[in-house]
Amino acid sequence: MRIPERPNLRLTRARPVVYRFAHTGDFRMASRREFLQMGITALALPVAGRAAFSPAISALAGETARATFYRVVFDARYPASRAFASEAKMLGLPVRGIKGDITDLWFNDLDLRWEEGPTSIAGLSTKESLFCLDLLARDRGMRVVFRADHRFLPGGGLEHGLSGPQDMMRYAVTLGDGGADWGSRAASLVTRFSGKRSPSAGATIVAPQAKRGDDPEHLVSWVIAPVRPA
Amino acid sequence: MRLPPGINSKDFSDALKQFGEAVGKEWVFSSEEDTDLYRDSYSPFWHEDIEPIPSAAVAPNSTEEVQKVVRIANTYKIPLWTISTGKNLGYGGAAPLLNGSVVLDLKRMDRVLEVNEKNHYALVEPGVSYFDLYRYIQDRGLKVWIDVPDPGWGSLMGNALDRGGGYTPMRDHFDSHCGMEVVLANGEVVRTGMGALPGSKTWQQYRYGFGPYLDGIFSQGNFGVVTKMGFWLLPEPEAFTSGNVLVPKHDDLIPLVETLNYLMNSNIVQGTTTIGSPLLMSQAAAQTAGGAGGSALLMTPGGPTIEQLEKIGAEKNLAYWNCEIYFYGPAKVVAAQWEYAKQKYSAIPGVKFVDGKPYRLPLDSKDIEAAPKRQFGIPSLSIFGMMGRSEGHMWFSPIIPMTGEAVFEAQRVFGQAYHDMGVPTVSQLFVFPSSFFPRSFVILCGFPIYHDVEKNRRNREIFRGLVKAAAEHGWGEYRTHTAFMDTVANVYSFNNHALRRFHETVKDAVDPNGILSPGRCGVWPKNLRKEPA
Repeated sequence: MRIPERPNLRLTRARPVVYRFAHTGDFRMASRREFLQMGITALALPVAGRAAFSPAISALAGETARATFYRVVFDARYPASRAFASEAKMLGLPVRGIKGDITDLWFNDLDLRWEEGPTSIAGLSTKESLFCLDLLARDRGMRVVFRADHRFLPGGGLEHGLSGPQDMMRYAVTLGDGGADWGSRAASLVTRFSGKRSPSAGATIVAPQAKRGDDPEHLVSWVIAPVRPA
Repeated sequence: MRLPPGINSKDFSDALKQFGEAVGKEWVFSSEEDTDLYRDSYSPFWHEDIEPIPSAAVAPNSTEEVQKVVRIANTYKIPLWTISTGKNLGYGGAAPLLNGSVVLDLKRMDRVLEVNEKNHYALVEPGVSYFDLYRYIQDRGLKVWIDVPDPGWGSLMGNALDRGGGYTPMRDHFDSHCGMEVVLANGEVVRTGMGALPGSKTWQQYRYGFGPYLDGIFSQGNFGVVTKMGFWLLPEPEAFTSGNVLVPKHDDLIPLVETLNYLMNSNIVQGTTTIGSPLLMSQAAAQTAGGAGGSALLMTPGGPTIEQLEKIGAEKNLAYWNCEIYFYGPAKVVAAQWEYAKQKYSAIPGVKFVDGKPYRLPLDSKDIEAAPKRQFGIPSLSIFGMMGRSEGHMWFSPIIPMTGEAVFEAQRVFGQAYHDMGVPTVSQLFVFPSSFFPRSFVILCGFPIYHDVEKNRRNREIFRGLVKAAAEHGWGEYRTHTAFMDTVANVYSFNNHALRRFHETVKDAVDPNGILSPGRCGVWPKNLRKEPA
């Protein structure tokens, strides 16, 4: 996937993740609790997002090697999530579809695999599916270490609110290219997870041209990974 | 470092070190990153300083380790808050009630100790989830069923000790238990019922043992830490069938429930039934979709009239009320039971019946996907796929008499309470009771949680108003969120709060330092007790 030389983005000021909640319509800073619940160190670096948007983005030296995941989870009901899965599959990752219900994925797959030991997974799903996987993963020594909230805005456009390891954030700009393929770009982004603990950072990227289509208002992409060495 | 109340940092550090020696230091969690994971994911105090947060968590792996932890806590007078798997969402989750408590996390105690297929029981540790026991039974091809709540990821023991319910004939989870092992505040181990007889061969078969029957005080209580619990299981039935009973008029609810009572108390109808209203739900759906007829009617000040609703029901061929009823047992028997139920319900003019799909058991793999899993004791997480757009919920759950008249009264009372508190009166119509427990109805009303301080404060105020309104009409909650345990306990005030005073007498005797789950269900140790308002 080619990273555009001149990203066509409406950039937000670089700061820790700003969440918009459906009921209040308010923008506000992610709380310390939300960072900590993602199992990443609490040191937020406000300037990390700005660095990712530098004009030198096209020359990304020292690219992070692609992560491997035990499973990449997608919600087969939604086009963006299916695109996420297609990209992941193209990158050689094992994908698994759900339709909003993680029961079978949990009972017949993850529960058995995680009994042997923790292993990373990633996905693009509803936040309810992530919530379930998050709580189940915590019991097995894993946490959500990267999360991006992808929200379609009432006035149009798509906002990506990211929080995760600093070394992933420099790839985040690719989400802003406004096209219908943001799902596949999100897949490419999650594979930049290096597996190493690093300071957390946040970024908010708005793709003003993105169209919602048959996707829901809010999806999340995420990585769940072990937080302690096996 | 967060500290438990009244404990200085040196003593806490010493206690943490000793906890580490007792359970292994990798199982003692005191960093904020780790302890924040025990905060309530559905907290009604999101972003508020009053949200109770643990100071640490300790995860023992055996009864012996629990004893050591409890003795250390007693030495330093550190309050513990016990959890099984910490999935009590809607009622407080894994979070303590008292800020700064140390969470006693029993999740690592996840052994299925026995499943007896011939006498139909299991003995489990606290960390055994419904999924775990279901897998254990399926892997061995045992012909017994568990009963599950919805979602099914919690602990059998945790749910039963909070007196939760499910859906099959074994739906009253505390009632389905038989025998406990408990670690007391002084570190001593007690076994209840027949377990008090060394080498007992009937610990999970006969509940009562000899002498005073204690098990109840360890449910919704803080008199001990339960480390083993027996459960009776349902023998796998030969067949299951169901039927839907639909009645056309508002007042038909009275004979509908009266007949249901007779059928359930005669063990003809089994499992949890929920009273529904196809008519009201269609109007709500129309309102959501912006349909003119539905939205205008439901938003009428004071609500629509019964006549208006019955008229729509007649025009659209929609029943005012329905209940789906379930039958478990031999194939010929369940078929006959459904026929008998229809015969009894035929006394209601205009009643209609819809036969449910009959199943022979065990289910074929092709049937499992579409089967009503909770009626078959199959745990599921599908309910999360049906969640609305809030950030969680908490349950208001009063018990009302199992009569149609009581349902009407609850609609009126809660509707008036909502009105008095400025909540849209349409809410009064959606009081749909369930029979999770024998011989009574429970109303489960979900309050959404927001990441908005003012909305949550308002909801807490409304919740307290409903608790008060319920109590004034003789209805008490069967279970509640930690945020409201004092509020709910306070309405159980017969004879100048004699029940609470009795609880406190027991608490002072068995846990004089008040280390076990202080404040749980309104029972506070002496050192933290406030005078009642």
